[in-house]
Amino acid sequence: MSLLQVRKVTKRFGGLTAVDDVSFDVFEGTIKALIGPNGAGKSTLFNALTGFDRPDSGSVVFAGAELVGRRPRDTVRAGVARTFQNTQLFDELTAGENVMVGRQARQRRGFTAAMLRLPSALAEDRDAHDEAGRLLRLIGIEEWVDVPAADLPAGIRRLVEIARALATGPRLLLLDEPAAGLNATDSRELVQTLYRVRDAGITVVVVEHHMGLVMEVSDEIVVLDRGRKIAEGPPRLIQKDPAVIAAYLGEGGDDDG
Amino acid sequence: MGGRTLRALAPLAAVVAVALLPLVVTDRFLLKVFTFAGINALVVVGLALLFGHAGQVSLGHAAFVGLGAYASAYCTVRLGWPWPVGFAVAGALAALGGLVLAMPSLRLKGHYLAMATLGFGELMALTFQEAEPVTGGVDGFGGIPFPSLGPLEVGDAATLYWLVWAVVGVALLAAYNVTSLRPGRAMRALHGSEPGAQASGVDVVGIKVRTFVVSALLAGLAGALYAGVVGFISPSVFTLTASITFLAMAVLGGTGSLAGPIVAAVVLTLVQYIDALIPGLPQEAAQTIQSYREDIYGLAIVLVVIFAPRGIAGLWGRRGGRGEAA
Repeated sequence: MSLLQVRKVTKRFGGLTAVDDVSFDVFEGTIKALIGPNGAGKSTLFNALTGFDRPDSGSVVFAGAELVGRRPRDTVRAGVARTFQNTQLFDELTAGENVMVGRQARQRRGFTAAMLRLPSALAEDRDAHDEAGRLLRLIGIEEWVDVPAADLPAGIRRLVEIARALATGPRLLLLDEPAAGLNATDSRELVQTLYRVRDAGITVVVVEHHMGLVMEVSDEIVVLDRGRKIAEGPPRLIQKDPAVIAAYLGEGGDDDG
Repeated sequence: MGGRTLRALAPLAAVVAVALLPLVVTDRFLLKVFTFAGINALVVVGLALLFGHAGQVSLGHAAFVGLGAYASAYCTVRLGWPWPVGFAVAGALAALGGLVLAMPSLRLKGHYLAMATLGFGELMALTFQEAEPVTGGVDGFGGIPFPSLGPLEVGDAATLYWLVWAVVGVALLAAYNVTSLRPGRAMRALHGSEPGAQASGVDVVGIKVRTFVVSALLAGLAGALYAGVVGFISPSVFTLTASITFLAMAVLGGTGSLAGPIVAAVVLTLVQYIDALIPGLPQEAAQTIQSYREDIYGLAIVLVVIFAPRGIAGLWGRRGGRGEAA
């Protein structure tokens, strides 16, 4: 079943068309990769899917509901969580507290309840605490729970951000270059994490430069070049696609300067 | 282990010390100084939430204190309403002002937000001067009665002190509850990374607005207490200088803490009345300190930002005391 339908999404910045008429589907329970050279429009597309940016035209339907025009918080609450290319952790909070914040997508604001220390506020806090512990164990980084985010190594920061995204209770998880800045060991752990996430029933879309990782984990790949979709299919076919090879070797760049 | 026990006992010791102070200090003027410290502390609790936790700068908080002071004065003197009603109106009106000031905060950050709040403060200061029929203009507003709770008038120095610090205690407890639970994490998340907070489903707008409103409300209540304690208010009290002093207390106190800003509020208030505190202090030294007060604050802020970015709270290493609420 198609969980996410991206249809004719276009986003312009001044004279530049960053995303040009892109359409694709993401099927439930799969890992889909979005690849392409620098400036291909991957991150722009990500922002358009998650409410951080509004596309100029096109539609994004998730589980039957239109996402375009929703704010980030409403997108998260609908079941679409994301991470960032430059991790956006809360440095003054511990790893555990960072993940607890993600749980707020499922909770009310609770300002007054917290002020009066009502049982409901305490119960929700306990729930967030337990959920954070469970997710850190799932990803295998529970030993970092009390470390301030500012002191975490790069690889762990990526994984904590994924745990925080999972705490929002998503059906779809969008990862923006999760392997950027990771060494080989970290990358292997990331691959394991992606499988665990998928096995937990969560659909994954991953933007990635790291080709080996993409070919290994993804069920399907969409290739973008200068804002356009130039290929889509399983890794084995994408690897041999002449248009993809041309784009990555930069041969296509001569046509329109 | 010893550190933990100390940390658990410190708040209790502080409460006892604050509560018993009037039994030791009998000088009426000195008690009034400590009462002013409490009024400032009340404002700074709100700023500790707004600045120290949510990372939102306000250079206009004296306006809320003024709003509360004039509201309570008008209610009790002109309308003849009971003091508790005027106190509540003061808080409500300031909260409403906080709602207004929260609007620019949804679009502006950093310096731009600071300028917007500064503009708001100046606008309110001008209003206090010009709205003569209500505020008495530059001549001020006098004859404000002492606070009273039903038939009980709170007139003597010790009782006023206790009333003010009781309000501080309640505000502090509420603020502690907020900061140690979900909303507090949301505030600190907002401070850490706004995109990260949005992506985590934090209600960024709701949290910002509520934090502004709560901090304005506390400033308004502080204003009502000030009017009751002093009996006379004028626009010259609720100026940019006062706003900067409040913010200085919050900055020196440190981010992510409530105790630090309270200590800073008390210390900086006492500095203003240093001649009364240290009887042997030569007149000249006291005057020098007082005339360079703003410079001393400014220098202290610069030193804190350079050498102890976490403020007073950071110096006693408060890090571990958090996140154990659940």
